Amino acid sequence: MRENLFKLRVSQVLKYLVPIYLVYAFAVILPLILSFVYSFFDDYGTSFSGWAPYSKLLQDSDFWLSFKNNMILVLICVAGQVGIAFIIASLLMSKVLKLRGIHRRAIFLPVVLAPVVTGYLWTLFYNYQFGILNWFVKLFGGDPVLWLDDPAKAIYLVSIPLVWQYVGLYLIIFLAGMQNISKEIYDAVEIDGANWRQKTMFITFPLLKNVTQVALVLCISGTMKTFDHIFVMTGGGPGRSTMVMAQYSYNNAFLMTKLGYASTVSIGMIVLSGAVVLLVSKLIGGKTDSD
Amino acid sequence: MTNKMKIGLLAVPANVLALLFTITAIFPIVWMVYTSLKTNPEFSLSLFALPSQPTLSNYENAFRVGNLSSALFSSVFNTVLTIPLIVLGSFILGYFFARYNFRGKTTIRFVLLVGMLIPIHSLLVPLFLQFKWFGMLDTRFTLIIPYVAFNLSLTTFLFQSFIRDIPTEIEEAAYIDGSTTDYALFRIIFPICLPMVSTAVILNVLHTWNELPFAFILNRSAELFTLPIWLTYFSGQYTTDYTGKIAGLVITSLPIVILYLFFSNKIMNGMSAGAVKG
Repeated sequence: MRENLFKLRVSQVLKYLVPIYLVYAFAVILPLILSFVYSFFDDYGTSFSGWAPYSKLLQDSDFWLSFKNNMILVLICVAGQVGIAFIIASLLMSKVLKLRGIHRRAIFLPVVLAPVVTGYLWTLFYNYQFGILNWFVKLFGGDPVLWLDDPAKAIYLVSIPLVWQYVGLYLIIFLAGMQNISKEIYDAVEIDGANWRQKTMFITFPLLKNVTQVALVLCISGTMKTFDHIFVMTGGGPGRSTMVMAQYSYNNAFLMTKLGYASTVSIGMIVLSGAVVLLVSKLIGGKTDSD
Repeated sequence: MTNKMKIGLLAVPANVLALLFTITAIFPIVWMVYTSLKTNPEFSLSLFALPSQPTLSNYENAFRVGNLSSALFSSVFNTVLTIPLIVLGSFILGYFFARYNFRGKTTIRFVLLVGMLIPIHSLLVPLFLQFKWFGMLDTRFTLIIPYVAFNLSLTTFLFQSFIRDIPTEIEEAAYIDGSTTDYALFRIIFPICLPMVSTAVILNVLHTWNELPFAFILNRSAELFTLPIWLTYFSGQYTTDYTGKIAGLVITSLPIVILYLFFSNKIMNGMSAGAVKG
């Protein structure tokens, strides 16, 4: 009975699936293939040059610098977004805390802002003359600092808005995970006299393994594709100090019109992001299940 | 020391810490809103003071010189056109994935998954070229197809897992009564999916409204700028007009923030569910 009802007919495929997949193929699959093909072309995408672009990419110090910057951002965001989110989440789960709903809502609010808005807002905070940071520096009697214009500091400074904006997302993921841990477990260990630290170490951590994996993978893959914030705040500068892979591909394509090489960079970015995410999910063990 | 007292002692630092996090999260946004009501001279005089005489002059200015109304229109236009298409497409795909078993299902599901796995920015160059070849750059409708396609994967998987939990008996009964696929889809299953539909709508409004790089690359004429693009141009042109720029930030964020104030739970659940799916 069921078998017959839910057996896909050609008419259904044509009517429902094909049109949707055509749109999807046009805007995702075809570009992906095109990008792959173009990655074997010369800088300006005029002639096929085999593996040459890739050997150029491997020796391109700017590309590797971008990758390194991506990795710096990943490290900071893992510590900052996932780490801080975990702390806040366990705070919010404790009984002593008041106004939990408000904290949750407030901390999530930046997540919904446009990355462009976050970028500009923080550019203002880093502003030399009217920035909030220099206001505090002056308050404590220091000399105003050129924040984002300092190549040595810039990559760390652009990471702060990323952390600020997305902590809330991981907070909600952790909270959802923690709420799934049955209350009885906590009640039981509380009767046995476990304190907050013990509860976190021996109950919350082990039971949150899956949720933590999800959060880590999400954070790493998200940070590997950072673009909007950097684009708005520094455009990869000063010099190349905040260049990330997506920005580097963008610059190659649309500032230097090297559409071919930009594709090579894009494919490099897909491969490296994928490799890092795979490596990390292997390291922390377990499966990444999409269902 | 009794246990109660210990808890009492812990309560203060815990609450203070949580409050600090909350203030860090919302103060920049609150600051942005009230600063947008100041004039530039007042702003340069004091960074943190509330506006002594709140003024909408920054907003009037943005509408007058900044071409804001057309950006507002473009953003609304894209969103209003894109969202129903995403929801419709994802609902249909989600339904077939949830209910039907067919050859190649794993493959075509994987194809859809690819859209979620790859960094979307890697499609900027090829999509630009494609649109150039087909003469699709710089039109009102340019962004619709990419926006629908980019958001299809995640939304489909959300619908799929929602529909999987709906008992099949509901449609079986309908089919026995001679219902068509259309009827089962849109008259029977769709109404049951309404909670998921609203989540999908909200999530995709956020994505579409906030999108920057593709709007930037595919549409270069000023009358097609969306709000994020308008913002980059506005900030570039009036670099010293700080309060004007801040008003621009508020205008771009306001619709989203209002949406958030009404549907915060839905948005939080939707985004974390979406994130976990991804």
